Amino acid sequence: KRRRVSENQEIEDRLESLILRVGEKSTSSLESNLEGLSSVLEADLGSFRGKILRILTDCAMKMPEKCTIYTTLVGLLNAKNYNFGGEFVEYMVRNFKEALKGCKWNAARYSLRFLADLVNCHVISAASLLQLLDNMVDAAKEDGVPQVRKDWYVYAVLSTLPWVGRELYEKKEQALEHLLVSIEVFLGKRHKKHHAALRVWTSDTPHPQEEYLDCLWAQIRKLRQDNWAEKHIPRPYLAFDSILCEALQHNLPTILPPPHHASYQYPMPSVVFRMFDYTDCPEGPILPGAHSIERFLIEEHLHQIVEMHQLERKDCAAHLLNFPYKEKIPLDYSIVEIIFAELFHMPNPRLLEIVYGSILIELCRLQPSTMPQVLAQATEILFLRIDTMNTTCFDRFVNWFSYHLSNFQFRWSWDDWESCLQLDPEHPKPKFVREVLLKCLRLSYHQRVKDMMPESYEPLIPVKPEPQYKYTAEGAGSLPGTAAAHQLVVSIRQKCTPEEVLNVLKDLPNPSTDDDDADSRCNPLKIDVFVQTLLNLGAKSFSHSFAAISKFHYVFKILAESEEAQICILRNMFELWQTHQQMMCVLVDKMLKTQIVECSAVANWIFSKEMTGEFTKLYLWEILHLTIRKMNKHVSRLTRELADASERIRRAESDSDESDDDADGSNNNSRKGDDREKPSEEMVVRMEERLETAQADQKTLFLIIFQRFIMILSEHLVRSDTDGKDFNTHWYKWTIGRLQQVFLAHHEQVQKYSSTLETLLFTQDLDPHILDVFHQFTSLRA
Amino acid sequence: TRGEQERLLLNSTTLYVGNLSFYTTEEQIYELFAKCGDVKRVVMGLDKYKKTPCGFCFVEYYQRADAEACMRYINGTRLDDRIIRTDWDAGFVEGRQYGRG
Repeated sequence: KRRRVSENQEIEDRLESLILRVGEKSTSSLESNLEGLSSVLEADLGSFRGKILRILTDCAMKMPEKCTIYTTLVGLLNAKNYNFGGEFVEYMVRNFKEALKGCKWNAARYSLRFLADLVNCHVISAASLLQLLDNMVDAAKEDGVPQVRKDWYVYAVLSTLPWVGRELYEKKEQALEHLLVSIEVFLGKRHKKHHAALRVWTSDTPHPQEEYLDCLWAQIRKLRQDNWAEKHIPRPYLAFDSILCEALQHNLPTILPPPHHASYQYPMPSVVFRMFDYTDCPEGPILPGAHSIERFLIEEHLHQIVEMHQLERKDCAAHLLNFPYKEKIPLDYSIVEIIFAELFHMPNPRLLEIVYGSILIELCRLQPSTMPQVLAQATEILFLRIDTMNTTCFDRFVNWFSYHLSNFQFRWSWDDWESCLQLDPEHPKPKFVREVLLKCLRLSYHQRVKDMMPESYEPLIPVKPEPQYKYTAEGAGSLPGTAAAHQLVVSIRQKCTPEEVLNVLKDLPNPSTDDDDADSRCNPLKIDVFVQTLLNLGAKSFSHSFAAISKFHYVFKILAESEEAQICILRNMFELWQTHQQMMCVLVDKMLKTQIVECSAVANWIFSKEMTGEFTKLYLWEILHLTIRKMNKHVSRLTRELADASERIRRAESDSDESDDDADGSNNNSRKGDDREKPSEEMVVRMEERLETAQADQKTLFLIIFQRFIMILSEHLVRSDTDGKDFNTHWYKWTIGRLQQVFLAHHEQVQKYSSTLETLLFTQDLDPHILDVFHQFTSLRA
Repeated sequence: TRGEQERLLLNSTTLYVGNLSFYTTEEQIYELFAKCGDVKRVVMGLDKYKKTPCGFCFVEYYQRADAEACMRYINGTRLDDRIIRTDWDAGFVEGRQYGRG
């Protein structure tokens, strides 16, 4: 009996491998492979029906790029065995419905596409597919549901049409027209407030930054004009027309989209990223135009390859370069364009930024004769168009480019960009170079950055990052804290205790107040001497600094109870380390983690007067975002813990319900493999309180940040108005861009406080420029 | 034991990083490795006698997933013009930062 089982297993494995591999490189033609495989499968249907159904549907969902190969196979099987065809359709329909219910939007789209392509293979009737598409478009006519839901249903239908448009046009022209008219009506009424927030560039020259549904609609309209003839999709079923047209067709059952539920998350709208057109590519195959359906199909296919191979950057690069239709398109350009499309995707890239950087490195390694040039050309184009690039993408561009340079010996033809040196230093071009050099500095060292740059770039080269310790500098003698600072150095070197540090600082007067009661809350001079001296002693490396902070954590806590005092700590850190941006980032991070400073203090410090000169520098926003992320993580963790505890209580209760006669409850627990103790009600109440506090803090943090933005931006707008000057300065663009960035980068967390923000801050009397940013944000999930 | 060691490696958030230049600093390592997630600490490998960096270090993340990303996207790329190698490590123990002299 054993042997039977293992024999069956072997056959199943063999079938699986045959099905999985069909369509891969082979010595015989695809047609003969399909024909052979369909005969093998037909013969095995008797014993392995379930298994074959499962493998085939799996392939349909997981290898959407091979859709037409598998539909052909199913078509051939249906021609041989009508019942099996019916079962397959049933199976696929179930998959589709489950994907819709589970909000697995891509899986749903792939199964819809597969069903549609089965019409081409005479497995499903055109009329019943049209009925399904109609039902989906009807979902876009519902009232009281989010627009993103309607968008998805329309997108799913439109993105299926390249496969089945021709067939529907030939068989059901009128019904197809009707469907398209309904879609057009929907698109005409759609709100697109989000569009501005999601664009990579504010300008539409040279390439329009189109909203994704509008773009796809234009592509579909063009396809219709061309009588639904497209040139990208391989259609192996055409070779089997004589067999397939004999087959009987199945009707799809009535499928209604599951009604909207508040918990459903739909894909957010997006903007189609375009940076090349055919004039950018040297002679060779021509890049399809922006509104040709081939452009859409190629892009979708390449995105899918990235998605599928994201875990193995080398495989990913190899698969991209091995794109099946590579002779027909300027492949390097298409690849580079979709990778930047992902990197610049708003609000967030779907993968870590470094994934894209590392894939680009592999592409250059695998294709050294062409890829580096195309990438250089792309960089050139991005730099050329940087004036109108949104601030978030500007940051990502800086991070990618510096990282890329560090992987290629920092070689770049800087001379070509020399004209940027004539511009206002706040102009995005010189700003980009300066920020790139600052990041290069972090990945290498000062001399290296100096050596790699032409002399003319001197004004943009960062100064050497070093601590500026005023208590040993010239003229230190006149400073009120010098004596204490020197004493502190000696004490710390002699490994004194935190109490002894406080003792050394004890007699320093408080310069800011004459009342005695304020003294205990914040003594700026004590903080000054302590923070600058301690951090200077730890200046050798991050580890030294961290060790110093943790050793004298107690002193920090004593000196910095109030927010004012915490801001004072940050100010002194800045005074010492202002030439070392990375140091400031990690120090703030450390002080947040060790609860020396609170998030709100960091936010207020960033917007404080002293930081005006730093306000448009990238690192300051790096600090703000790490601060917000810290807060978000804290809230998420508490939320998770609470949910986990409630779940355990619920489970424990339903356990004891089920087994009332089982006296030994603990035994019950261990049987379930849950060895953690059931939390008490009291614990849960405490957890709820903790979460509430954290959420209140989070809300306060966002309120502080947005309020400060509103204040400085309003002030600027009013001042420009009274002075009769153009408000749209570099400073204004950077600042409004940073405001936008806070909304978008943390949209999931900010979303929770939307209505509070609307009532408290983003009120109707606000300047429309500022209010607009808020409305763009709220329309993301509208 | 071997099983124990394997279990540690499967849950580890620490990586051994090799083929560093002797001049590469902790700061540079932070900058690159933070691209995969929040870095908990970096321990520089030191020459046993001279106590100077000698081409390796340990990087510890808070999250396993971040360390996995690092194995995927940083391993085999360049830092300070050298192709660096990352490997799973069972966890840093004091004393291991000293390489052979």
